[in-house]
Amino acid sequence: MKKTFLFIAIIVSVTTKAQVRTVSLQASGLTCSMCSNAINKALKTLDFVQKVEADIKTYTFEISFKPNIDLDFDMIRKKVEGAGFAVCSFVAHIHFDNTQVLNNQPIQFQEKTFLPIDTTDQILSGEKKVRILDKGFVSPKEYKMNPFSVASPRTYHVSF
Amino acid sequence: MRKLLIIAIVLLTISSHAQELYSFTEPASNMAAGSIGLRIDNSIMKELNSSKINYHLIPEIRIGISKKLMIMGNFFFSNRNEQFKAEGGSIYAKYRFLSNDAVQRHFRMAVFGTISFNNSDIHQEEINLYGHNTGFEAGIVATQLLRKVALSSAISLVKVLDNGNNNKYEYGSKNSRAINYSFSVGKLMLPREYRNYRQTNVNLMLETLGQLNTGSGKYYLDIAPVIQLIFNSESRIDIGYRKQVSSNLIRTSPNGFFVRIEHNFFNVL
Repeated sequence: MKKTFLFIAIIVSVTTKAQVRTVSLQASGLTCSMCSNAINKALKTLDFVQKVEADIKTYTFEISFKPNIDLDFDMIRKKVEGAGFAVCSFVAHIHFDNTQVLNNQPIQFQEKTFLPIDTTDQILSGEKKVRILDKGFVSPKEYKMNPFSVASPRTYHVSF
Repeated sequence: MRKLLIIAIVLLTISSHAQELYSFTEPASNMAAGSIGLRIDNSIMKELNSSKINYHLIPEIRIGISKKLMIMGNFFFSNRNEQFKAEGGSIYAKYRFLSNDAVQRHFRMAVFGTISFNNSDIHQEEINLYGHNTGFEAGIVATQLLRKVALSSAISLVKVLDNGNNNKYEYGSKNSRAINYSFSVGKLMLPREYRNYRQTNVNLMLETLGQLNTGSGKYYLDIAPVIQLIFNSESRIDIGYRKQVSSNLIRTSPNGFFVRIEHNFFNVL
């Protein structure tokens, strides 16, 4: 049933031009700088990552990407988990070019599918913050309240 | 010693931030996947009934296999038998099976096991797989990071075998098993505020280490304060002092200094 829904969703989805500029993620489960450094260095090994700026104090990492390259949110999450920690907030800064957003209607771009949650119908233009709501991208507490999980690869529930 | 303990407790109570990179025990957290750590551990222990100083050198390699599994291996060298020589080695593995992470806190649990080989003569009733006895050990560890404090406790079963070179464990086969237990607390003192990875971190730890022989019912209880410096967020030096608090086991040299030098290579595998 889920698959059928997803299939229909993708058929009716809106394909748009958009570019992920940066991702800022917050990691949980750490306090020390050696742990933070383990995450920092793990993120830098991803071939589509250009730069990682770490704020050790707030456990956040600002990741910027090489131009015109395919990037994978799940690989970013897996690098944080591989270092021994978890992602508790994942916000992508995406540049949109007059994209119409309808609540629960999928948006497709760069081989990713976004399923907007609780969003008012709007037209996105310029840089917007997109928060990923699926399991592994939010804290376990938040996931318990809103249990979204990725139905298929590179498909994410998001809020704008 | 009492002064040292009071100073350690006071410092642990007043400072901020936390650490769980203990010297004498392992926390439930693992090495980062694909990373390698190299350690040189040095124990400088004074013999109880002589003026002799026993020096143990233990080089160690640690490998993060995956986010849940790490292994480490080491070699034992010491001058306990007059001449400084290689005496054995051990292999250790730890599997983290529970991890509840939140910002600045986590609760984690792991199981671990050690197999240790040693060729030196056996000179004490205490079972010590870290450079003295051949044997194996299996246990469980739980670690709680609570923003400013890291607490960890482990319990394990240890079984001693005869050492190599026909060196027997001569305290009876009934007394060849023991329970090891530990409680460790750690805290990061400096920097007060993080700005970059080059800031030196200063941590203080206090570890309590005990053993209860399940055959004889004999035990020891040690306490070990440690000061730790972390450089460039990848290297560290620990300086600790292990002191016997109470014991009715035969032990050769329970008191002495411990120095660890460690460097971590992140994401090299």
